Amino acid sequence: MKRAWLAFAALAIAVPAHAQSVEQRIAAYRHRVALLEDQDAIENLQATYGYYFDKGLWDQAADLFAADGSFEYGQRGVYIGVPHIRRAMLLFGPQGLAAGHLNNHMQLQAVITVADDGLSARARWQGMIMLAEPGQNGVWGVGVYENEYVKQNGVWKIAKLHFYVTAETDYDLGWTKSAIPMDGPSALFPPDRPPSEVYRAFPGAYIPPFDYKNPVTGRSLADIPEPADDVVGRK
Amino acid sequence: MNKALLAALLAVTATPAWAQQAQTPEQRLDALDKRITRLEDMNAVERVQRAYGYFVDKGQWTQLSELFADDATLEIGGRGIFVGRKRVLEYMHGAFGPDGPKEGLLAQHMQFQPIVDISPDGRTAWVRSRAFVMSVGGWGLPLYEDEFSKEGGVWKFKRESGPFTMYTSWKGWGHDALNNTWPDKFDPPPDLPPSTVYLTYPAYWIVPFHYPNPVTGKPFPVEPVGAYHRPPGTPEQAAARQVGKLADGTQQIAEPPGN
Repeated sequence: MKRAWLAFAALAIAVPAHAQSVEQRIAAYRHRVALLEDQDAIENLQATYGYYFDKGLWDQAADLFAADGSFEYGQRGVYIGVPHIRRAMLLFGPQGLAAGHLNNHMQLQAVITVADDGLSARARWQGMIMLAEPGQNGVWGVGVYENEYVKQNGVWKIAKLHFYVTAETDYDLGWTKSAIPMDGPSALFPPDRPPSEVYRAFPGAYIPPFDYKNPVTGRSLADIPEPADDVVGRK
Repeated sequence: MNKALLAALLAVTATPAWAQQAQTPEQRLDALDKRITRLEDMNAVERVQRAYGYFVDKGQWTQLSELFADDATLEIGGRGIFVGRKRVLEYMHGAFGPDGPKEGLLAQHMQFQPIVDISPDGRTAWVRSRAFVMSVGGWGLPLYEDEFSKEGGVWKFKRESGPFTMYTSWKGWGHDALNNTWPDKFDPPPDLPPSTVYLTYPAYWIVPFHYPNPVTGKPFPVEPVGAYHRPPGTPEQAAARQVGKLADGTQQIAEPPGN
């Protein structure tokens, strides 16, 4: 084995990967490492958002956003700026999780694309939801995050959080018997902007737009056709 | 995976300090390049696996098939093996219909818990990961042991193998557990029979691990382990393994339910 490894190492060195100076190579590798670190930082940032949101830690969750960041959940509309985001989250319940509530928003399946300048990024996440409150049956849900991030003074922040809730159902009944519609914009604290996209959750069929390219073909996924929806009026 | 490869995987970052000092700056940079490339490769492979999941969720079968190498294989549940990217697409279109999500259909395949390894030559990768299926049909747990190859700088599926752990209706696995699939359960038929025959929950099959125990370095036994809801090594499990075994040592699938 050792011999095989040495042979391989020798082979790797024998291939002239670069006709660059040592300094140029160090600069290039520092850049690549920085992008890897950025990706990890964004992964931790979004996971942290999830842990805060689960427990109704709205103050802490809102602090993860850039000063001009935006927050959009389902069809509730867009809230802009940290103070508005903090108040919008109070529509989900009081600061700190209320007794008997479950507000789990699991953050899975990150596809993170960091811009080459290392100052902005986009990511798609799978959002799994488990909800409960006293006197009501539990709720299962699922959706997709398509988010944007910005690095300010070396710190990654959420620039845009858009959670496309795509399906919610009663814990016992399931999808064949129960489809819970999304909440619309609040009358108590209206959003700064209406929903950026009007769509219907399950049983409607809708594809939250992909920010990333097909990782093998490199082709954009922006032109994937949306299925027709008579209710929304999408042909 | 053979033992030499496992050992090489473990040794990949283990260049001793004295060897580094004896190297020229270019050689040290080459070694650094290799380590950075390995990290980038791990991310890229995870990305392909996750993109696969998002395409399944929305019925994007053409996009999904393009994640596969020309000669890749696909084996899901007990359906048998489909050979080549074109057959991957035929499988998806034949079994699930044309591209695009459908009203009233939910088939979320949430991807998580990946263990990624890259071969020492940087051309092959393996992932063990899983999906949690939340669908109109109920709940499901596929496990993946997938192989990827790097072609022209791009990672692609070389082998997707998604054996099932558990499938159930919305009533839950405490109420009813669905059989594994089998080659003629639905069209199209596979190119090759299943690589192994195994039972799903309440029985189980431990899919061989592509990687060794990360602490001890010991390879996981590659002998297929099938059992009826008892841990490996217990008398009940040993007895269960004698029931309905095929000549190749794997267990016989239950009869398909009449419907």
